[in-house]
Amino acid sequence: MIRKMPWWLGGIFMAGLLLFAFSYIGAGRPIGASTYVPYFAGILFNLDPKAYPYLQEVHNAGAWEGVMLLGALTGGFLTSIFVTKTFKFTLMPPAWKKYKNNSVKSRLIWSFVSGFLLIIGARLAGGCTSGHFLSGMSQGAISSMIFGGVVLVTLLITGKLFYKSEADDAR
Amino acid sequence: MLDRILSIFTTVGQEPHGSVWIVLLIGFIFGVIVQYTRVAEFEKIAGFAMLKDTVVPKMLFLAIGLASIGLFVMVEMGYAEYHIKPVILGGLIVGGILFGIGMAIFGKCPGTGPVSIAEGRIDVMVGAAGGIFGGLFFTLYYDKFKMIMGESLGKPTLNTIFTGHEGLSILVFGIGLIIISIIIPLRELDDK
Repeated sequence: MIRKMPWWLGGIFMAGLLLFAFSYIGAGRPIGASTYVPYFAGILFNLDPKAYPYLQEVHNAGAWEGVMLLGALTGGFLTSIFVTKTFKFTLMPPAWKKYKNNSVKSRLIWSFVSGFLLIIGARLAGGCTSGHFLSGMSQGAISSMIFGGVVLVTLLITGKLFYKSEADDAR
Repeated sequence: MLDRILSIFTTVGQEPHGSVWIVLLIGFIFGVIVQYTRVAEFEKIAGFAMLKDTVVPKMLFLAIGLASIGLFVMVEMGYAEYHIKPVILGGLIVGGILFGIGMAIFGKCPGTGPVSIAEGRIDVMVGAAGGIFGGLFFTLYYDKFKMIMGESLGKPTLNTIFTGHEGLSILVFGIGLIIISIIIPLRELDDK
């Protein structure tokens, strides 16, 4: 079996999945993937939803995305075992080593910090790559286009400033 | 805690559309597509931030272009409805900046991160722990964050801006994105 799906086929399938999720025979709602995080945090830290208005706001969407996430973990896991054959416990991506540094500690600390920023950012904006980019822009929503534009510019500036432009592996 | 975890399924089962199994299926297919196209890799997302890999924007723009046209037709025919997010300028701009910085450094987003964890990436699991703390922090200080987010300026879309030319505006938007996805030159960063 081919171990990698080309981008255009992935794009066509992703569009089909979005449409199925939107349709009444599917879920009748957009796909999203960042609302489950505060929802899970509420469960993990045993916060009382009555005391935290935000937990009430995300109650339904958080649960929906939690179940979707369970499916995504299963689908991703099975594909990595049987199709792409890439399942492996690793601590550092190869390109981090090439374009940043060779320190596992640095990668783990930056992962924690950037994971924190990512969720604060998504919750401030009300969506992420799935909810705003994919689902929001597919509806022609102006909010999602503003978010998409800001993310795109910030992503490229950060990429330029944070990483080295030349790979380190020549040494 | 267990009863709260189990109540997730009850909550989803009570939604007007889509059984728990359908939602699981949507997630499953999402996981397969993301893993099979390899777009959850650090090399793909951080690689795009470095402009050394263009698979992510090509796939994203193609999917949005196709889905925007398809969704418009479905809504017109009564098979679906729009769910628009409001314009909250402070939230979108400050949130977009934090999200862009986080995405470039982490090399993941909230949807692709879990798929990476399912592939055995321990660094991503650490980042997810950071994300959970982010979610906790946001929940605890929601009233403060609300001041940054600002008032909602309504829910404008291409359809409300180009009233009378809804179909045409979506068609131009969709085809434009499909053309962009094709003309972005294909570059791939080595993941070995």
